[in-house]
Amino acid sequence: MTHLNLNRRCLLGAAAFSIFPRVSVAATQQMTSEQVLQDWYCLVLMLVRHTATYSPPVASRAFAYLGVAVQESVVSTDATASSLAGQLNGLGKSPRNTKASSLPHILHGALERSVSHFFGNTGPTGKRTIKVMSRKISAALMGSVADDVAVASEDLGHAIADHVFEWSKTDGGLVIENLGFPMTYAKAEAKQDWVPTSPITLQQTPLLPTWGDNRTFALANGKACSLPPPPTYSEDKASDFYKEALEVYDTVKAITPEQRMIARFWSDDPMLSPTPPGHWVSIALQLFERENTDVKRRASTLAQLGITLADAFIGCWATKFEYDLLRPVTYIKRVIDKAWMPILITPPFPEYPSGHSTQSAAAAVVLTAAFGENFAFEDATHVRDGLKPRAYASFEAAAQEAGISRLYGGIHFRAAIERGLEQGRCIGAHALKLKFTV
Amino acid sequence: MRFAFALCLLSSAALADPVVTFTSDEKTSGIIHAYAGEWEYMVGGGTAVFDCNGDMKPDMFLAGGEKPSGFYVNTSERGKDLRFAKHTSGAELVATTGAYPLDIDADAITDLVILRVGENVVMKGEGDCKFSRANELWGFEGGDAWSTAFAATFEKGADFPTLAIGNYVNRYEEAMPWGSCTDNWLHRPDGKKFASPKALKPSYCPLSIMFTDWNRSGTPALRMSNDREYYEGGQEQMWVVEAGKEPQLYTQEQGWKYLRIWGMGASTYDFDFDGYPEYYLSSMSDSKYQTLEKPDGTATKPSYADIAWKKAVTAHRPYMGDDLKTSTGWHTQIEDVNNDGLADIFVAKGNVAEMPDFSMKDPNNMFLQKPDGTFLEAGGTSGAGSMRMARGAALADFNLDGLIDMVVVNRNENIDLFRNTSASAGHFLMLELKQDGPNRDGIGAWIEVKLGGKTLRREAISGGGHASGQLGFWHFGLGTEVQAEVRVLWANGEAGDWQTLKADQFYRLERGKEAVEIAAK
Repeated sequence: MTHLNLNRRCLLGAAAFSIFPRVSVAATQQMTSEQVLQDWYCLVLMLVRHTATYSPPVASRAFAYLGVAVQESVVSTDATASSLAGQLNGLGKSPRNTKASSLPHILHGALERSVSHFFGNTGPTGKRTIKVMSRKISAALMGSVADDVAVASEDLGHAIADHVFEWSKTDGGLVIENLGFPMTYAKAEAKQDWVPTSPITLQQTPLLPTWGDNRTFALANGKACSLPPPPTYSEDKASDFYKEALEVYDTVKAITPEQRMIARFWSDDPMLSPTPPGHWVSIALQLFERENTDVKRRASTLAQLGITLADAFIGCWATKFEYDLLRPVTYIKRVIDKAWMPILITPPFPEYPSGHSTQSAAAAVVLTAAFGENFAFEDATHVRDGLKPRAYASFEAAAQEAGISRLYGGIHFRAAIERGLEQGRCIGAHALKLKFTV
Repeated sequence: MRFAFALCLLSSAALADPVVTFTSDEKTSGIIHAYAGEWEYMVGGGTAVFDCNGDMKPDMFLAGGEKPSGFYVNTSERGKDLRFAKHTSGAELVATTGAYPLDIDADAITDLVILRVGENVVMKGEGDCKFSRANELWGFEGGDAWSTAFAATFEKGADFPTLAIGNYVNRYEEAMPWGSCTDNWLHRPDGKKFASPKALKPSYCPLSIMFTDWNRSGTPALRMSNDREYYEGGQEQMWVVEAGKEPQLYTQEQGWKYLRIWGMGASTYDFDFDGYPEYYLSSMSDSKYQTLEKPDGTATKPSYADIAWKKAVTAHRPYMGDDLKTSTGWHTQIEDVNNDGLADIFVAKGNVAEMPDFSMKDPNNMFLQKPDGTFLEAGGTSGAGSMRMARGAALADFNLDGLIDMVVVNRNENIDLFRNTSASAGHFLMLELKQDGPNRDGIGAWIEVKLGGKTLRREAISGGGHASGQLGFWHFGLGTEVQAEVRVLWANGEAGDWQTLKADQFYRLERGKEAVEIAAK
């Protein structure tokens, strides 16, 4: 039997999660649905990192649609699995074909086609790698079922992917121009308004200012988990605003090695990592391997996680541009210390609330439901980038750390983190209402 | 007196924007050559420009990608159209990405280092633009990598140069190429041969490297501009390379700043006249213009500030046309193209392949320096703003009229060849370095020219750009000055005497001797 003879490890880093070598040793075994899923998602994390359009909100959108395509694929062969049609805003019934009975082939077809849809703008290396992945998985699946079943199953996977892609076209996030930075944007008027913080020319306008208007998945709309305003802007040393800024200033000034490491671990910079939503998908993929999770649970978890991450970014962005708050670096340089610099690169959009906090809390809600309360785990997402794995007592603990990492990094005030976490929990709760089994 | 006069001239020049004019000689030049190929040739596409037949006019090796490289002998007449004749040099190879000229064996005939996808090859210059493979003769192990960057230096006491070669992605990792940067190599001499290369670990897929004396210590460091698209855990790098010692990376603790860019090309010049070089690093999106941070006025730490935005040279987006998506910069070179005494910056531009998030019609930049130190984009107005998919390039005076011309290598399209036809350009000096011993062309020297109360300085490097190198005359624009004081600080630490040279001439500056005016044959 043909097998994948790939030497590189997946993004996940630790050898236990090395998808390609694992498959390669299975020369006489059928490639399983779980393996198909894992291999494609491994590539997706790479594509997110290496496709310029894939800022965190855009990445979260792709994870949601890919997850839905995966869940609908499983539903097509499993009567106990529940379709998301009718549960998600605007999603109609997925195609079916009773002859399509091979789930590995359906998943392969669905992911192959979805990756082409959602990563059509990747570069030459990404395009080449997608082709290689398609070819190798097709070869690995060859002969595992009758030819007509294989063809029907892959075709159904393609049809499901096309169905999901058609649905995606009307959500407001399909076209990303200028890498998400509008060519023009009204300048700040009030002192508390966001102003650009980067010397990079592209980033003189904020990233995706209308993302909060996009169609949500499980939320009613982007304002379904809205937040109260941030502390009132003030330069008075007795004010809450000043105190929050001073906390960032003092923290960065006295940063400990552990705090610096935490800031870097959750930095998740676009084009240098799988981004914040990809970080949580990476955690899920690692745990699937550790727990030997079956395909049905993998599919439902990836769908639910993708959905809540996408909703988190829409909800967070709606709030960000409602309050349009300046970043710590702007305030601290203006009021406290002209020479101050944060540890992390300040993201090019308004401060309140913290996007990483919102989406991490939402992800933690979903993963806690999937794996359990106080589920201890180790996160090896950044091993290949030279960062050691970090251990957590629970998903909530990881989300808390992701949130506070932004204060350590000097890019968020405490209110944005704490309320971002609150917002994420609210958004995650909406995703938990979705039914994945009949 | 002359100082005051020159200052006056510079300030009057400030009243008008600087100007340069280029005329395309591509169609009539006799050169038909494209850098061709698929994935393995998305980077590279360099040229080596040097005089191989002793007529002073720069000739040209052109990397061919999957097609054979080309060699063209310069047949231009002085001050006239640029013309070249295809020539069988012996250096015609397939799978070439770039090349750099260097007199490796100190026989006064320029040799070639050819970078390839596969085995790199050193070619011994035989004279009259003929070359023969010399890997075995010189003990050069060409390896089997995807080589994309080169730099050379002559370490103290060595009989042969030290060659640094930057290598890119592991091309055999077809399913997961990201994070597969292969080792860069340092080929140090072993007498009059090369020892086995040493890997420079970690390696982060550089697309441009150079030996540069960043702190004027007398020992150049090896600077690497790396492509963040393919490394994991990487960053920009600079190695301390001291004779007889293992190379050491500058660390964050020593002041090296954590910077991650799509490093595509690099060039250097002392723009701010402080004696320390600035660096221009081309990239996707914003390019970088780095100046040394000197809190106490001296170069104590290798810490650089990016002032590209302040200087108006970010080159982040096309300045003309209707495809205004983000830019992709490649070869960069700093030359004074209008002879006003202020060095200018060229950036070759072009999409990697078909990356829809980036501009497909990305004109090359020609940033003209203004007296206030900022720059004016003149790519469009000069006629050199080609929209082709550029990669490597060379700015050189091909027709010996004292004006810098330009060849640009394009991917899957013919080269661009631009003749500088500026009518209002200032005076110039063309200076060739020579010395006895192993480093005949004075690599690593600093050339200083006093002009208008300031001292222009440039480092005679072998490396940088994007897969493209040059050897020959070093050019200085003099504005309205008709003579200038010139000296050379040789790489061995010896300072040449200040000499007054007449403008608009070509000179040989030989260590320990008076400058000699040389005339075109």
